[in-house]
Amino acid sequence: MNLFARSIRELHQMLADHEISSVELTESVLGQIDAVGRQTHAYLAVTRDLALRQARDADDRIREGARVRPLTGIPIAIKDVLCIEDVPTTAGSKILDGFLPPYNATVVERLAKEGAVFLGKTNCDEFAMGSSNENSGYRPVHNPWDLDRVPGGSSGGSAAAVASGEAIAAVGSDTGGSIRQPAALTGTVGMKPTYGRVSRYGLIAFASSLDQVGPITRDVADCAILLQAIAGADPRDSTSSLHPVPDYLDGLDAGVHGMRIGVPKEYFVNGMEPAVEKAVRNALEVYQRLGAAIEEVSLPHSDVALPAYYIIAPAEASSNLARYDGARYGAQAGGGHNLIEEYGLTRQQGFGAEVKRRIMLGTYALSSGYYDAFYLKAQKVRTLIIEDFKRAFEKVDALLGATSPTVAFPLGAKTQDPVAMYLNDIITIPANLGNVCGISVPCGLANGLPIGLQIIAPGFREEVALRVARAFEAATDFNRARSPLMGTAA
Amino acid sequence: MIATKYEVVVGLEVHAQIKTESKMFCSCSTDYLAAPPNANTCPVCLGLPGSLPVINRKAVEATIRTALALHCEIPEFSKFDRKNYFYPDLPKGYQISQYDLPFSRNGYLEFEVKGEPGRCGITRVHLEEDTGKLLHAGAIEEAQSSLINLNRAGVPLMEIVSEPDLRTADEAREYVMRLRAILQYIGVNDGNMESGQLRCDANVSLRPVGAKEFGTKVEVKNMNSFRAIHRAIEYEIVRQTEVLDGGGRLKQETRGWNDARGLTVSQRSKEFAEDYRYFPEPDLPPLEVSRAWVEKIRSALPELPAARRDRLVSQFGLSAYDASVLTSSKPLAEFFEETVRLGAPAKTAANWILGDFSRFLNAEHKEIQDSGIRPQHLQQLVGLVDSGAISGKMAKQTFEEMYHAADPGPALEAAKRTQQISGDTELEGIVEQVIAQNEKSVADFKAGKQQALMFLIGQAMKLSRGRANPERLTALFREKIT
Amino acid sequence: MPENEPELSSDEVRHVARLARLGITPEEVTRFRDQLRNILHAIEALNRADTSQVPATAHPLEQRNVMRDDVSAPSLTVEAALRNAPSVEDGYFKVKAIQE
Repeated sequence: MNLFARSIRELHQMLADHEISSVELTESVLGQIDAVGRQTHAYLAVTRDLALRQARDADDRIREGARVRPLTGIPIAIKDVLCIEDVPTTAGSKILDGFLPPYNATVVERLAKEGAVFLGKTNCDEFAMGSSNENSGYRPVHNPWDLDRVPGGSSGGSAAAVASGEAIAAVGSDTGGSIRQPAALTGTVGMKPTYGRVSRYGLIAFASSLDQVGPITRDVADCAILLQAIAGADPRDSTSSLHPVPDYLDGLDAGVHGMRIGVPKEYFVNGMEPAVEKAVRNALEVYQRLGAAIEEVSLPHSDVALPAYYIIAPAEASSNLARYDGARYGAQAGGGHNLIEEYGLTRQQGFGAEVKRRIMLGTYALSSGYYDAFYLKAQKVRTLIIEDFKRAFEKVDALLGATSPTVAFPLGAKTQDPVAMYLNDIITIPANLGNVCGISVPCGLANGLPIGLQIIAPGFREEVALRVARAFEAATDFNRARSPLMGTAA
Repeated sequence: MIATKYEVVVGLEVHAQIKTESKMFCSCSTDYLAAPPNANTCPVCLGLPGSLPVINRKAVEATIRTALALHCEIPEFSKFDRKNYFYPDLPKGYQISQYDLPFSRNGYLEFEVKGEPGRCGITRVHLEEDTGKLLHAGAIEEAQSSLINLNRAGVPLMEIVSEPDLRTADEAREYVMRLRAILQYIGVNDGNMESGQLRCDANVSLRPVGAKEFGTKVEVKNMNSFRAIHRAIEYEIVRQTEVLDGGGRLKQETRGWNDARGLTVSQRSKEFAEDYRYFPEPDLPPLEVSRAWVEKIRSALPELPAARRDRLVSQFGLSAYDASVLTSSKPLAEFFEETVRLGAPAKTAANWILGDFSRFLNAEHKEIQDSGIRPQHLQQLVGLVDSGAISGKMAKQTFEEMYHAADPGPALEAAKRTQQISGDTELEGIVEQVIAQNEKSVADFKAGKQQALMFLIGQAMKLSRGRANPERLTALFREKIT
Repeated sequence: MPENEPELSSDEVRHVARLARLGITPEEVTRFRDQLRNILHAIEALNRADTSQVPATAHPLEQRNVMRDDVSAPSLTVEAALRNAPSVEDGYFKVKAIQE
């Protein structure tokens, strides 16, 4: 098997055993990027020199005989919404073309401290707004399973890279499903930690009360390893939680015997593809066989989660994106007669259509006369959704459903209708509003396209989500499927 | 005097920076006046993508302290909000401020105008971040540009809003002076209006006497001193009166005070009303202001100006007026008390400080802490006069020298060395010499003209180069002229 | 959520674009107006929820009073602060003047 196709755990062992070097491993992945990168467009910037320098440092550390950290020498991809010092960071937008951050995001610092190797910045929907990566200001990403199809979004580049072998693992961000949904569409594992579990310092903000950074990996153990490295309070992020971080690998294989798993009836939505529904119901049977008790539950306010999200997220985004005026960084339009005109032109030219729509929607929702009816109302609905989850988790340990109602759709299929595009996130959005965590794991293929199973656990109980996900992964072989771009699996 | 058919209504909005080491939401230094442009910036106060604010605890405590000094209520729950608008000195495109749940509300400030006590309500004191500074550059021929310095962006700023309770320019000036003194006393602000550390805007309107509704409100900005506040408000009162008397209507607008020309000028109104779209700051968890925390802050409050003034009256027997002036600024009050502590009699010290010292300072628009004269210098000078070593006139001369010198020491030392001539032998000689040289004045004095004695004493002082003891001289002259 | 409100108008779209400093062509005004109308229709579903008994959740976490000590730390160098600026002069960011 090619090195680039292996898991973090396997590679960590091989590095620790001196079977391979990090430089060798990194070259293998860089080689795969060269080979298929022009087909996926998973990356906006490949940081070859940085990666090899870090790989050499990792090899030095390993050679010195120090106990090798799990991520040391492992090449990973970073979604372009996270700042890496002196590395071009665009958030997938033209308005940040050429921006070189003078600082590192906390997540980046923690990964660097662990000895990880940064392959580059992955493509994403502009400012993380989108469900197909077609809103990238640069170019869309193509799904390694079928290059005419979308990989999902907004972390489409990160998910595609993991699925194509262009990264061993990746970091993405999830505001309404942007890690879980692309993970589902690319047959990878993707987790949205509880809001506050991972620092947002250095994450280019989309919706401040919803954004979370999380891992995209090939299997559940890798996901636990990556989460372990980045989780934990950060004094630079006042919204990061002081909740202690457990050992996520501890108890990972404990299984689900005796656990209670709830199936929200509202998650079988209109428009769900039959193959997706079938795969999820099959998964329920697997869990039953494994000894879990399955029961139907209700999250009665699920149907208002999407509308609430499409007020809260755009409202916060409209404010977060006000700083992009071309004066201190990013692209400036030039040509305005005065400053106000200049701002207008810079933002008109620098932002794509979806970003503009959301800025306008958010501005409208916050504007005089509409605040109570929109924003305040949506925040109250958020309370209802939080309470729905609390009530459900009094009865069950985890919730199960599909991640996305459909498999990967063709490029261009939904770009004309924003609302149709928004519906891709209908089952992922509640977890962002609800103060809980969620993970997507592969649970089948439909016509060769991956289907994702979503497991939701209570807030700050990521270890439960991981354990439930791992049980399914161990009992099935869906996670062994590889995209055509990966080449033949071992 | 303005015709009294209108009632003047003035409310003041004061912005006061807080003297912290670091900025409101990041660790950059607040010492922005000395620093080169943009040298005190970081991802947070530059508003770089991905940056996040973290609240400075000391700024919160300073705000609560100020609120307590202004007798405000401190609610148990408070939060920050985003105020969204675009301006080049506002890097994030929003200011983190407070909207509907500020740290404090419903307080008051007491003051006195010409001996008449007054009180102005305080609507709220809240906390926010300051903006950067803009310079305007460019020649007239080419497109003008603005230069942005973000050193000041993010400095903690309190906004103190008064109720529209003030009725005259005098009251407004007095309010600001008192407020400034309080802020100095509690150590949150030095009161420097010229540097922009303390800023004041006024809302001025007129309404017919007896009317319940408020008239059209005009906002007045750019008043950088107490005098400017007074002049600007007086100007506005006259201007608004003329408009209303002429049957015109006033525009609700913002006007800038032009100190050089002595008038307010309409600032071009915006094309459209700004809508700040306030919403709770999602990057900052809210604050629970426990009663225990408030008590801890309250117990650490220093003696406030009003209490100090009362104490100076009762402890030192000063007049209410003198005590009031002495406590109008913390450095002034401290100078006085230290001088007394070192041994000077209170009333004498007060007279010196409020008299000559203040005269010199005011002429140069300086504050007492700007002078090289320290309490020990004044106390020693006073001691020389009291012991008779030098005359009062000599002391005044010496003080003037001390004031203008870079170091007051030498002049004081010189005065110490100069002994007043009290010995009769030397004095007698001088007196006889003066009598001999001024026959007419001697005759006049004999004839009953008291001024002649004064003249003779003056001549004797001249002869002795100011060193003669005047009381002795008087006695000697009376003795010898009979 | 306003019920029975008239549809979003072009004027409102222009107003919102101005508030957000987004330059916008007449064609975009119409296009965005129609798209935003659809989105707002979808959002109307919010009215179905009975929120009379619940407070708003502005901050998902329960923590309060997250503050730091008043200690200053080194800032960025001026060079780093200005590095990404399209136009600088004498250490200042340079922009066109406001002419309202």
